[in-house]
Amino acid sequence: MPRIDAHLHVFTKVSSEFPREISDVWPAEREESVEKLLDEMEKHQIDQAVLVQMAGTSIKQHRYLLHCLKAYPNRFLGIGLVPEGHPNPADHMAELTDETGIIGFRFSTFGGPRDIFAKMDVREFEAYPIWKCAAERDYVLWLYPNAINAHLLPYLIQEFPQVRVVLNHLAVCPGKGKFSWDKFGRPQIQVTGYNLTMHTTYRLARFENVNVHLSGQYAFSTEEFPYKDLAGWHRGLLTGFGAKRLMWATDFPWILEEPGYGKLTTVIEELLPDLSAAELADIMGGNAKRILRFPDL
Amino acid sequence: MILPTSEQKEQWEEEGYLVFENAIQGEDLKRLQTAFDYWADACKEEWLDRVEAGESVATFYDIPNPLEKDPIFIDIIDYPSYYGALMAFTDHDLILLGPQVRTVAPWPVSYTGWHPDVGHDNPLHIKVQIYVNDVEQGGGEFGFVPGSHKPDAGPYTRPTRQESMPGHKAFPGKAGTAIMFNSCGWHVSMDNHSDVPRKSIILIYEKRTPGRIGPEQYASISEYCQTPERRKLFSLDG
Repeated sequence: MPRIDAHLHVFTKVSSEFPREISDVWPAEREESVEKLLDEMEKHQIDQAVLVQMAGTSIKQHRYLLHCLKAYPNRFLGIGLVPEGHPNPADHMAELTDETGIIGFRFSTFGGPRDIFAKMDVREFEAYPIWKCAAERDYVLWLYPNAINAHLLPYLIQEFPQVRVVLNHLAVCPGKGKFSWDKFGRPQIQVTGYNLTMHTTYRLARFENVNVHLSGQYAFSTEEFPYKDLAGWHRGLLTGFGAKRLMWATDFPWILEEPGYGKLTTVIEELLPDLSAAELADIMGGNAKRILRFPDL
Repeated sequence: MILPTSEQKEQWEEEGYLVFENAIQGEDLKRLQTAFDYWADACKEEWLDRVEAGESVATFYDIPNPLEKDPIFIDIIDYPSYYGALMAFTDHDLILLGPQVRTVAPWPVSYTGWHPDVGHDNPLHIKVQIYVNDVEQGGGEFGFVPGSHKPDAGPYTRPTRQESMPGHKAFPGKAGTAIMFNSCGWHVSMDNHSDVPRKSIILIYEKRTPGRIGPEQYASISEYCQTPERRKLFSLDG
């Protein structure tokens, strides 16, 4: 069974060939290339990976992702982004998925009522056309919902039960103002001690098309690797979703310095030590291969 | 004090729950509904801000510090229709752990799955859920597995769907109904497929153990707790 890193990012220096947004964390000269990733994968026996677009939503800003997918067609699948408020998201999505290796798109908002007690008409949600397009064209939706959007998800999932949904990073829904970068250049999300997602995204286990990444532990934990304070979260997800709907991922490159790529290939064994060998193999790649339809190597 | 009948005692022992229909009625129920609605409305925007900040659960909300907001929330803690049973089951050594004055939104999925609250090594832990509005079947009503509170019951596992729990019983009820249950038992909020929020109050009690609740916990409402029995219930004398 292949070992698949189900969520990470690569980017290269800014150039006319590969334009992208810049920030303090990914300045123009910074490069976290696909070749660097492949070195790490080789060293730690990881066969395939999902490359997730960052630093820009326009078509041209996806060029490096498209380049990587074309250069290594059997090794990677891609997840793209859609500009917020795009007048015709279906066209944007179609252009990026035309035999490119991009299989879906990542979102964090759904454009529905902020108040869960409001009347819900899913057709009025701003994200409705995107979900409809995903349902018609068999795209995967890669979701990292903001906290104020989490309650909208089951309405969309009910409406489009055929859409494969992957909840990123332990199904956490980050709160407004709770994001920062730590001294290792990693995203940090301040979360409450009581796991609020037990009452929102964890409840989506009811829907068979919903899957969850076991990743991003560094961003939520108050401990160093292996993030034992999050063992209960992992057990909760395993109990709710079962071993067939969980996918391991590293969130490369943020983790390269601390704790390092190699350590993260063992994080599932550390946090879920009672898994059978078959369950572990599923989470480490078998599920990603089946759900995301990775090609045979 | 209305003590439980022998039938009620037997049901409590064997099944782990009791239902008190019309436990609160008339003017008291109106007072409770009025206070609930007023404070739920007053607290809602702040709750939504906390949801947005990732500090509160998105699928239900509790009125913060309800005992300080209206005396009716204190009066239901030792309300005669069920207080006698609470006292009898705890050998007249009862303390309040806390109230949850809760509004649960209609949502495609219940906000929680089947679970017990405590293990059998915990002192007797009892909850009383009071419906503030009518709760129909399929309206987020309370669910319980009779007998699941016993040490030799089970084992139980959480099913994906609420209605798939073997042996469970769901409890729709009119406003003012109180359902008392042993928190070792497996329970849940059933799915709410209606368009009506479930308004209920969950009162949490335990058989007293030294130091469980400090006297400062309810000091702010001590003026409402003048009798020795209330002071004991609210742990005001340590």
